Amino acid sequence: MARPDPRGVATVEAHVDVIVANQLSKRYGRVAAVDGIDFRIGRGEIVGFLGPNGAGKTTTLRMLAGLIRPSSGEGRVLGERVPGPSLRRVGTMIEEPSFYPYMAGRDNLRHAALLHGEVPERRIDEVLDFVKLDRASTKRVKAYSQGMRQRLGLARSLLWSPEVLLLDEPTNGLDPVGIAEIRENLRAVADTGVTILVSSHILAEIEKLVDRILAIEKGRLVFDGPLATLVHRMDAATVPYRVRATDGAALLAALRDLGYAPEADGEGGARVDVPAADADALLARLVRAGVEVTDAQRVAEDLEGAYLRLVRGDGRPS
Amino acid sequence: MNAFVNVVRAELFKVRRKRRTYVVAGLWWVLLPVLALIVGRVLLDNLGSIASDLELGGIDAVIQQIASPFGIARLALVGPAYVSPTFYVIVVALLAALLVGDDRTHAMWKTVLVVQPSRLAVLAGKVTVGMLVVGALMAGAVIAGLAFGALGTTFLPTDFSGEWGQLLLLYALQWAFTTALVALAYLMVYVTRNVALGLVLVFFLPALLEGLYTVYAAVVGFQPINRFNAFLQAIRMRQVLEDLPTYFFTTNVYAPARSTTRELVATFGAEASGNGGPDLSALLGSGITLGHAAWVVAGYTVVLFALLVWRFLRTDVD
Repeated sequence: MARPDPRGVATVEAHVDVIVANQLSKRYGRVAAVDGIDFRIGRGEIVGFLGPNGAGKTTTLRMLAGLIRPSSGEGRVLGERVPGPSLRRVGTMIEEPSFYPYMAGRDNLRHAALLHGEVPERRIDEVLDFVKLDRASTKRVKAYSQGMRQRLGLARSLLWSPEVLLLDEPTNGLDPVGIAEIRENLRAVADTGVTILVSSHILAEIEKLVDRILAIEKGRLVFDGPLATLVHRMDAATVPYRVRATDGAALLAALRDLGYAPEADGEGGARVDVPAADADALLARLVRAGVEVTDAQRVAEDLEGAYLRLVRGDGRPS
Repeated sequence: MNAFVNVVRAELFKVRRKRRTYVVAGLWWVLLPVLALIVGRVLLDNLGSIASDLELGGIDAVIQQIASPFGIARLALVGPAYVSPTFYVIVVALLAALLVGDDRTHAMWKTVLVVQPSRLAVLAGKVTVGMLVVGALMAGAVIAGLAFGALGTTFLPTDFSGEWGQLLLLYALQWAFTTALVALAYLMVYVTRNVALGLVLVFFLPALLEGLYTVYAAVVGFQPINRFNAFLQAIRMRQVLEDLPTYFFTTNVYAPARSTTRELVATFGAEASGNGGPDLSALLGSGITLGHAAWVVAGYTVVLFALLVWRFLRTDVD
């Protein structure tokens, strides 16, 4: 359902899904890189796209950006099937951002602006200022550091004030300072109501940025829901504990007797995943079994651990 | 239409930012006219004084043909059609590398084709820019030839006379024929996915195929009854194969320039087909009318562009 806006550009009603994957698949010979995934992302959502390397994240994003053709199914962005004119209202950063190295950063942006055709000159200054590259904008890109290139890539993706951002590993290869800068930039962009689909395998970044998670493994969507639900679901399934006792062998034997699968963790220690329902009673049961427990800690579960346990389906974090 | 115009503007911007554009222009616009003036001066100094003794009364006419404003301007269009690889193909190949190859080398397709999702507009824009730049370089060479020739009138027995209308026609024809070179270069650079390999193919593939034919015709010929010749006879293709040189790519694509040279050589009393002198037919492309060449080049252009469009529209962007 499109309506005209003052710029003469059709925009999509708020209730309409901005990004849609409908049984989206991509096969290379017998190998399914993406295998019939479905999801819908509404206006203004910030969605993390998680998956280990080779899971199909980049292929999915490339299909949504119209760069590769799906083997079956379809991708829709801003209400239109891709590839199509709606992509001109999408900003992308697919894998490492690329530029013409013999041109200055500003000239790379000007080239993209000319290619797009609807970018005023002042917008180049605005985005350079936004990513704090205004001072380095006249340097050739081949002299840029990795962090500068990532920021320039983000600047380019914002050049035409996109309604949607498709970002693939935007912080790849950055140091912690660079990661924090990009994260701050993305948060500022998200505050303007732009819909963002951001993939990463450095899960801590996603954890601090997104509201919703799409998790993909071997080309299949294995989770689609709020971030909190993902962590809670994993917490609800099992709770990881690190336990220490005066007699390590007795500790391991007792845990096995209780039906768990402990792993030795240093001298006198064990690491074990305990069903959530048993967690509170663990210490008491070990004491009843005659184990002299000296320390027991519940291991803090981060998103990465929860995610890996989800996709592996064996309840055991790596 | 807007997409096409945007691509043209962006690619022209890119060409202006590339140093090799100016190197090529410098070589074409300065080196060749200076060489012509030097040759004119050498002829005048070494043959001028003895011309009357040796009854070479036409030495001034020769210098007029080579080093006058008209002569140098014509040479600027004719000269690049000789030597293999010719300067024309070098220029076109470098442009193909810049306009098509660079987007692969620097992984820019993933940006270009999101900003401008219409692949047909992108390709048409890049081809148009290639033709515009070739046309501008040729025009610059003519103007530079005129300017250097004007300088030469101060120390050589030359003037501004010449068939300027014919020169304009030569410019227009050779520029139009260059479309086939552009199609070949873009196709090779795009399909091989490797700029260096693409350039090698552009430079040498037509010459290689034509050379193989020549070797076969010289060593085996089409008369002896071997299996291949018998097969050709059976499918009534022998005559076609014997006539094949008149359909060679290089023979036809440089036909305007080389036919001009043939006329020029004829004014000096030599014949392309020999008449006791060296056989210049291979060099001058004798026996091919411009009308025939135009049809052949049009055929090559259509086929090469059809292949290019087909590949470009279908290929996934890595």
